[in-house]
Amino acid sequence: MDRDSVQMVIETLKEEEIDLVVTLPEEPTYPLTEALRSDPFFQTITVAGEGHGIALCGGASLGGRRCLFVTGIAGLLVGSWALAQMGFYSVPLLIMASYRGDIGDRSGIPGASLFLFNQVGEPLLDALRVPYRVINQKSALKRQIQDAHFSCRSYGTPIVLLLTGEVLW
Amino acid sequence: MKRFDCLKLLASWIDEQVLTVTSLSTTAREWSPLWKRGPNFYGLNLGLCLPFALGLSLAFPRRKVIALDSDGSLLLDTSSLITVASVNPPNLLAIVFDNQCYGSMGPTATSRKADLEKIAQGAGITVTGTLQTVEQFASSVKKALDRSELSFFVAKVEPGREPIENDYMRFDGRPMRDAFVEALRRYPDYRD
Repeated sequence: MDRDSVQMVIETLKEEEIDLVVTLPEEPTYPLTEALRSDPFFQTITVAGEGHGIALCGGASLGGRRCLFVTGIAGLLVGSWALAQMGFYSVPLLIMASYRGDIGDRSGIPGASLFLFNQVGEPLLDALRVPYRVINQKSALKRQIQDAHFSCRSYGTPIVLLLTGEVLW
Repeated sequence: MKRFDCLKLLASWIDEQVLTVTSLSTTAREWSPLWKRGPNFYGLNLGLCLPFALGLSLAFPRRKVIALDSDGSLLLDTSSLITVASVNPPNLLAIVFDNQCYGSMGPTATSRKADLEKIAQGAGITVTGTLQTVEQFASSVKKALDRSELSFFVAKVEPGREPIENDYMRFDGRPMRDAFVEALRRYPDYRD
């Protein structure tokens, strides 16, 4: 994730008054989480597991605290039970995930593993009835974050933004 | 020690300014008729009760948030204790009702060697306790309610549940969630 994308995300989060960011570090989004950690506007929490990270965000968000969970496709798989529960209880929750395994992923993970993520990522979200958007262009980043933040609160549901293409690689 | 006796005491000590979260267990069923005043989120199980309460404690830093968890639920994700210890919210009180079994379906690991208090201590939580009697429960939990410090207690309780009539089974899912949020919205410090 390059500096422009990181800066765009940070500016948009501030405009949306999202000041709590929860993550379990993973490589593609690490520049973002590192930048968030060094910005005093944000309270950042590094969790030990994605499932309870999603539940943490759910409690905060239902309590009115504007928050973001940053993870990857693997984190969505690990946290799928929590994601299902937050959906069941109509908890508004904004999630930003690196789309590991998307076409063009040259991150160095063996292709078979990437292909697994490619095959199960979007079907998992469909099965959990979690709305998502794939963002592969920097020019769309700001608007998509704004829209997802609005709609997750309007619907009362988690929404996932899958980052890929020039936004991530 | 009976869970219901502990819950009755707890209900007599707190008011509607306190938030509670229960795991999907007998705890929720027994807490339901006792606690009608303040916001309670019923029924987060399989490891989600404690971290959800942690999130609420960050949304309401000036209010006490109580997680009423159970051994089976917490055992599923003890790594949440590491995150709780790391965040260290002074307004969070966690009580794990440990009956050492999965309902009527056999023993949990706490009936053998697993010790949730020691796991919490190892995760980095400093105020902890294992409570064997109602007197110990009363003393430790009352103190924790009065102070501003992350606290974690394991309350050793008997298996089984109180034969009480309540509307718990009808109060699940979206209606429960909506009632919870409605109660939160009445707080002046709720930020939407």
